Amino acid sequence: MTTLSLTSSPNTIFDRFAKLNWGIITILIALAFIGVLMHFSVSSGAWTDMPLKHGIRFVVLLVMMILAAIFLDTRFWLAIAYPLYALSLLLLVGVEVAGATRMGATRWLEIGPLSLQPSEIMKVAIVLALARYYHQLDPRKTGTVLWIIPPFLMIVAPVALVMHQPDLGTSLMILFAGVCIMFLGGLLWRIIAAGAIVAIGGAIFAYFGFLHEYQRQRVDVFLGITQDPLGAGYHVLQSKIAIGSAGLFGRGWMQGTQSQLDFLPEKHTDFIFTMIVEEFGLLGGTLVLVLFGALLAFTMQVAYKARSLFGKLAAGGVAATLACYVFINTAMVIGLVPVVGIPLPMISFGGTAMVTLMVGYAIVLCVDLHRDQHGARGWLW
Amino acid sequence: MIQPKTLNRGKRVGSTLPKRDATVIFNRRAALLSFVGAGVLGAILFRMGQLQATNLISGEYTSAADDNRFDTRIIAPPRGIIYDRFGVVLAQTSKDYQVAVVQNDAENLEEVVGRVAQILGQDAEWARRAIIKVRGGSRYEPQPLKEGLTWEQFNAINVRLPELRGVVAQSADVRAYPYDVVYGHPIGYVQKPTQRDIDRTLEDGAEGESRAVYLRNPHVRVGKAGLEASMETELHGIAGYRKVIVNARGVEQGEDESERREPIRGSGLVLTLDHDLQRIAMQNFGEQSGSAIVMDIHTGDLLVMASAPGFDPNLFVNGISRTNFAGYNEDEKKPLYHKTVTGVYAPGSTFKMIVGIAAKQAGVEDNWAVGCSGGFAYGGRVFHCWRAGGHGRVDLHDAIKHSCDVYFYQAALQAGPERIAAVARAFGLGQHFNVNVPNIRDGLIPDPTWWQENRHEQWTGGLTVNYGIGQGAMGITPLQLAVMAARLGNNGLAVAPRLIREGPNVTDPPAPARMEGIEADFLARVRDGMYGVCNEPGGTATRAGNMELVRHPETGAAVPLTPENRAWQPVQIAGKTGTAQVRALGANRGRHYSTIEWRYRDNALFCCFGPWHEPRYACAVVIEHGGAGSAVAGPIAREIMRATLMRDPSRREPARLSRLEENLARNA
Repeated sequence: MTTLSLTSSPNTIFDRFAKLNWGIITILIALAFIGVLMHFSVSSGAWTDMPLKHGIRFVVLLVMMILAAIFLDTRFWLAIAYPLYALSLLLLVGVEVAGATRMGATRWLEIGPLSLQPSEIMKVAIVLALARYYHQLDPRKTGTVLWIIPPFLMIVAPVALVMHQPDLGTSLMILFAGVCIMFLGGLLWRIIAAGAIVAIGGAIFAYFGFLHEYQRQRVDVFLGITQDPLGAGYHVLQSKIAIGSAGLFGRGWMQGTQSQLDFLPEKHTDFIFTMIVEEFGLLGGTLVLVLFGALLAFTMQVAYKARSLFGKLAAGGVAATLACYVFINTAMVIGLVPVVGIPLPMISFGGTAMVTLMVGYAIVLCVDLHRDQHGARGWLW
Repeated sequence: MIQPKTLNRGKRVGSTLPKRDATVIFNRRAALLSFVGAGVLGAILFRMGQLQATNLISGEYTSAADDNRFDTRIIAPPRGIIYDRFGVVLAQTSKDYQVAVVQNDAENLEEVVGRVAQILGQDAEWARRAIIKVRGGSRYEPQPLKEGLTWEQFNAINVRLPELRGVVAQSADVRAYPYDVVYGHPIGYVQKPTQRDIDRTLEDGAEGESRAVYLRNPHVRVGKAGLEASMETELHGIAGYRKVIVNARGVEQGEDESERREPIRGSGLVLTLDHDLQRIAMQNFGEQSGSAIVMDIHTGDLLVMASAPGFDPNLFVNGISRTNFAGYNEDEKKPLYHKTVTGVYAPGSTFKMIVGIAAKQAGVEDNWAVGCSGGFAYGGRVFHCWRAGGHGRVDLHDAIKHSCDVYFYQAALQAGPERIAAVARAFGLGQHFNVNVPNIRDGLIPDPTWWQENRHEQWTGGLTVNYGIGQGAMGITPLQLAVMAARLGNNGLAVAPRLIREGPNVTDPPAPARMEGIEADFLARVRDGMYGVCNEPGGTATRAGNMELVRHPETGAAVPLTPENRAWQPVQIAGKTGTAQVRALGANRGRHYSTIEWRYRDNALFCCFGPWHEPRYACAVVIEHGGAGSAVAGPIAREIMRATLMRDPSRREPARLSRLEENLARNA
């Protein structure tokens, strides 16, 4: 019951390279380049480690992504979906048991010289595993309660483990991507409605029950329950000042007063979008959002064109993950949602989000190359 | 879609379920999610636009960004310079070497301050206090650890700076008093504003708040004593500011030069004092406690305003040490008191001129004389003359010359207390003279009305008798004594003293008017008597009164007497001694001076004017617990008066403030 047939995939390596989705690759390059520009500005106009590392890291990942897209095909991803998920879950339990604590959070697993963040692997693994699950499930069963339990557990287990680290941002992202795939996989609307009610109740319970003090403070400030311009509200206040005072064209590259004089905290990571707007204005910010919008659109197009449900759900899951990164991050810096530590992928400094996203896009490029592989459920079943 | 329908038929689990096509569902839902995503993207774009639109209308984010990045740093203005009448600088701004620390740069504040203390030879207690002070200030701006370093100390710090992280060696403008003790009292000193000053300013609302910020600047000083305090507004000047760009930690990154406002120096003051004479006066006190005034009897210019012992105002500028302050504060000679205006003493025999004039005014004939046998019986008790044997028969001239008490007991009875009090007040005793220094005391000239109101007793004749020799409840200041001598010297013109010749809001005083009810001929015999005190055999101050000066026949200048110029006209003065008890009458009688505790000894007074042929200067000296006026106050007054007569400052061209300020601006 080999269910992914090889009928119409490009065959030669050169052919595959030529048929890569160059639209997606171009946008990724553009975003990473903006990242380098901003890190050059963060370093006050010097080729310090920061812009260099960002650029080199991207180029290496780009090459690896293209190679992966060319030499692996969708069946590979389908094959490793469950094992990868199982491994990720194991590692998350490992973190719980023997994790390294940095800055008050236990997120890392140290294996010799390697420092691993299993929650990031989980971001990819959950997408693949759920795509795999719905790929082989009879569409008529997706509606029944019984067949909702496995994906539900597959989502809840990592979310709970990551939440406990604590890492609210990542756990929310895993939850969001998982729910998106369940939705795309064909969850019944009445179950969705019931789920929504449970989610709201859960949020309220979470707020009073087990959110950490700093997390609750952020929510309080966001909801206007407390005014605290030097505490939890300081970040967002300074960010709004920077964005509000930027104007249409901004203060100019390396001229942002809020960012260059350090009034804006975390400007190279979570608040880099604010710095982009401050220095390049409303137009610069819009350009970046349009780039992300286009990337999402291209990704959804890949999903739409793919013939296998696994390909569709995997590409859709990557799109959901990206949307989650971009929307939460930008909405946070303009004060639309409470502060959660989620970076702007491809632009913020730091390798984790970039690696996650580039692995995701290796899958998307694969799905795109092999879009005509139409599969039945149950490969390797 | 791919699944053959037949597979789903039959009795399989799914057979009862509705048919669903996963691809169709996916595509539909993907489209729905894409719309939602587009909506979220739109909302984010809209929110960005909204923030900017808000800013376009209200400008709130632009001004918040400016508030963040711009900081106004105060530049303390240089204080106005204080000059003597000839332009000698008495108080100025000069470079002060300091060691400071920036908390944010110091890795270990305790350790680094400890090292500085070691280099400067300070103890651990000093370091502990310094750390407390520094911790109270800004983390990012240098907080002074020690000011007023010597050049050697400054260098010692400088060479070790590489190993002292966070320590800064800096120089700043600070007030300096080049003649330290000489002008401590009249000029006073500046100090850092105290917490109480800042609290008091804060009560004035918003304006007070910005002034409080100003006062907290480590370079700001305010006047705390003397002219520095009373003329604070005029001397202080206008603060400048710099608009600096700071980062989030308050560290200066640059400056908007176009917004810089330079501070404006405070207005200068030209005093009436003559530095040469003031210095001589201060030197002549020796170990004594007292005060001396020299005054121009026509203009009222105070040429000398000396109070001893002096104190060094420089010690106060950067905060006086506890030991230094205790040394001043616990000294029984009270160096911190400005005795010329706050010391109140019984006038003793110097009051006798007043009594004489009052008697004359009351109609006592010139040839009225009294027999002095050493005492005067009145109201059942005997009032003694200072000379137990008595003076025999004395008239007004001789009574002043010998300072005969018995004569004035009776003269006082002839004049009556009201008249004596009126004449005393006319001559400035018990009167307020605003010479611009703080804490001026007015003294007291009691009369029967005052006695009734304050002591609730009937005035008695005995009080009048005592009044005659300047004893009793009355008290005068050395400044008032000088005014009295000046008004005697200028033949009854109501001259008033002044300390500031030129300065903001200072106008030349009008020519002094004649004192009402005091005819010139009332004064003639009294002045003759004062001449006798100093120049006639038997006078009480012939030694102190002998100036040993002669007049140059051509220039008219007073020059020291030498064997060659004996033929020239002598330069003489007229004066009066006074010895005033500080304890109940007679308590010290019969005891040798050295056996009496210092604070119970008599006060010695001397007042005079000169030169006799053309009076120009009046002088008053009061020595606290010095003993007899002729023996202690007289010789000091002699030296001061002799120097004054030789120097004759009134005839020299005084400095002009406008010229001095021009020079200053040119040199800056």
